[in-house]
Amino acid sequence: MTAEDKPRIGVYICHCGENIAGAVDVEEVRKFAEKLPDVVVARDYLFMCSDPGQEIIKEDIRKGLVNRVVVAACTPRTHEPIFRKACEDAGLNKYYFEMANIRDQCSWAHWHEKEKATEKAKLLVAAAVAKARLLEPLEDRYVELNKDVMVLGGGIAGIFAALDLANAGFKVYLVEKSPSIGGNMAKLDKTFPTNDCSACILTPLMVEVANHPNVELITYAEVESVDGTVGNFKVKVRKKQTYVDWDKCTGCGACLNVCPPKARVPDEYNEGLSTRGAIYIAFPQAVPKKAVIDPDACIRCGGRWFGEEPRKTKDGKPILAPCEKVCPTGACSRDEPRDPNGELIELNVGSIIVATGYRVMDKKHFKEYAPDSPNVITALQMERLISATGPTEGKLIVPSDIPKYLEWKKKIEKGKEAELEARKPHVITFVSCVGSRDERYHTYCSKVCCMYMLKQAMLLKEKYPDLEIYISFIDVRTPGKDFDEYYMRCRKLGIKIIKGKIGGVQRLPDERLLVKGYDAELGRPVELISDIVVLATAMEPNMDLKELARKLGISVGAEGFLKERHTKLYPVDTMTEGIFICGCAQGPKDIPDSVAQAKAAAASAMSLLAPGKMKVEPLISEVDQEKCIGCGICENLCPYGAITLVEVNGSRKSKINETLCKGCGVCAAACPSKAITLHGFTYEQVLAQIRTIAAKKVVEV
Amino acid sequence: MELAEEGVPPVINLTELAEKEKEEFEEKVSELIIEFGAENLMACMQCGACASICPLARTGFEWYNKKLIKAILVGMREELLDDMTPWACVACNRCTEICPRNVTPFEVMLAMRRLMVEDFALPTLTIEGLRSLYEHGHAVYMTGREARKKVGLPEKPPTTDSDEKALQELKTILKNTKLAELGLIPME
Repeated sequence: MTAEDKPRIGVYICHCGENIAGAVDVEEVRKFAEKLPDVVVARDYLFMCSDPGQEIIKEDIRKGLVNRVVVAACTPRTHEPIFRKACEDAGLNKYYFEMANIRDQCSWAHWHEKEKATEKAKLLVAAAVAKARLLEPLEDRYVELNKDVMVLGGGIAGIFAALDLANAGFKVYLVEKSPSIGGNMAKLDKTFPTNDCSACILTPLMVEVANHPNVELITYAEVESVDGTVGNFKVKVRKKQTYVDWDKCTGCGACLNVCPPKARVPDEYNEGLSTRGAIYIAFPQAVPKKAVIDPDACIRCGGRWFGEEPRKTKDGKPILAPCEKVCPTGACSRDEPRDPNGELIELNVGSIIVATGYRVMDKKHFKEYAPDSPNVITALQMERLISATGPTEGKLIVPSDIPKYLEWKKKIEKGKEAELEARKPHVITFVSCVGSRDERYHTYCSKVCCMYMLKQAMLLKEKYPDLEIYISFIDVRTPGKDFDEYYMRCRKLGIKIIKGKIGGVQRLPDERLLVKGYDAELGRPVELISDIVVLATAMEPNMDLKELARKLGISVGAEGFLKERHTKLYPVDTMTEGIFICGCAQGPKDIPDSVAQAKAAAASAMSLLAPGKMKVEPLISEVDQEKCIGCGICENLCPYGAITLVEVNGSRKSKINETLCKGCGVCAAACPSKAITLHGFTYEQVLAQIRTIAAKKVVEV
Repeated sequence: MELAEEGVPPVINLTELAEKEKEEFEEKVSELIIEFGAENLMACMQCGACASICPLARTGFEWYNKKLIKAILVGMREELLDDMTPWACVACNRCTEICPRNVTPFEVMLAMRRLMVEDFALPTLTIEGLRSLYEHGHAVYMTGREARKKVGLPEKPPTTDSDEKALQELKTILKNTKLAELGLIPME
């Protein structure tokens, strides 16, 4: 060590106004610090982090008085970067800086024991000095970033995230599980609190994102695996087999009506209120508007599957499936074999945004609400029932009569005269908090149910003023701009509120329903007979969300939604750098909140990727492969999957991925051969701190 | 019903109430109350601020302002007509001052009285009061005329009662109100 390198430590003690000085005798600490080994100067100031405070430190560095800096002040969590920057600005390697936390860990904690607080402050300063003597200069490193982004999920959140990124010039892969983008919002009739038609505001966005030159839309596809790290993710995506040639399919829909009745299954778009054929287009305004064949529903008309020879009629003509026969472009041809596993593609991206949405709970769980009755429906089914693209084209009838409606429609389409005999509802009852705020299902509030019940009630009452509408509420939750005004509008329309959750629904022989509740406002049990009961069932995580989170290396909360890094400060970040979350995959929320979060996630991805490279703090672990015995303890302990065992000259050695390492130090602490060094927190440095505190004086290690 | 007699409150059958409102009566009770002056009835969100300061609620009357409004909203016409709470209202008007939705619960109370009068659902004391109002210009009229004389006061107080012209005007006014139409008291 040359004289130039010998530590010349400056100690700077902050009063933090009264926060520190109110409990710690700053002058006494300063005098104590002055006498510590290698300390050349000790100063104090009212606010060390202020401009003049920083200037004191900078001046000492510039004059060559000090070459190590110890600041005794608040917490390094918020202020370490500020002081490091000050050191750097004055020409000192910023890792020659050490901080003693004498506020959060001393003055605040021991506010009423001033003498002891002062003694503790001295020890903390001594420990910091002990470490500062052993500090080494470190350099920040940079890694190159791939600027492409993958957005998972093509609902309203995914669409907005993709659009914002694409408009900013980033290439986006928008991956959607279903044949069409649009998500749950595509199923909604109107949206609160303005009653905009959902399709009218969503469809243009679907078209815009699909046609955007910077967006590559990959629908009917799912993530298979994710490798790599921030800036360089390698994602394998499985494009499911569509069984229809999408290059040829024009979405004309000719095939939809010829699919035989036996092949019909519940229609996902209409939430099971109607059926679809095995060959289907997701919904009328689907993007892309392409047909797919559901292989589980297809009954293989003509006894032939893809790539098999067709059977022949007596006169030798091939027997084709009806869809095949009717298709004007040959998109449904079964001549060629098709791989049931679809196609696996690999994409390289710098960042991933997860916007996979939610699903609503099925009514089947709730035995107390007569789920076997067709007239007990979920609120999402109600959306379909009142939607112009729904099973009844928006005609309000009791769901048990939908089959009658469909028969009538078939007759009319064939030009026959027929009378529709479906029953119209006179009474509709909404049941709140079904599966939400319930220890048996989900403890959280699904946040949107109060508002969508009010919305549906309002739409119905405005269109059919004679309808009796009851909404049961445990309590009405309408926080948000214009939300409570919306609720008042409903009240004024004469929608009747039952204050209390409905406890039971009984199916009557005439397919009406006996509803039993208790009204807390009247203090009496109430009951009524309803034609339709609408259950506001909870929003819950998608079935495969946990599995997707596992593939991505991000976590889910106890309730099953994706977990953000910090509820308040990093709401769209995850613990895995470069992966962001938004929309209902993160938790129940309405459309405005989903969109806001999607835009936040897009902005976060942009600010990460825009520079094209990313600074990596050097405070990470390093393996001395000479010392490493290849035991693999560190590999199992690493919470970030940053450590792998590699073959070096015939023996197993631990290797740390510098971009993945977060510098937690678990590996260094556990390494039995002390082969791992956590820079900035080396074995010697930490030991010097501990021993100094134990011995109550600066000790040599 | 048997249970009800033992003091257990009976179940409120909302369907029956709604059907009666539709089939038996020309108008819903809520619509009548609005017509009778409680224009903002539907804005009530049952916050309970009115009940917190209502003397009726504090003295154990069942259908005080907040509950009265709720019962009107669900159409409990018959049960309300059987109950005398609105006549006990002391018209302090504190409910109207405190209401965050400008529902004017006191107006609801008055509108309910008007509805009850139409249905002759009023206590005998009220009829006495009306008769006295018509005859003397005082709803509550003192009986001690002898006592007044003893201390040297005129038999009638110096109010409408002793002013024949004013009394005639009052009678004319009352004859032009709904009171005459209802025939609750004799009006010569």
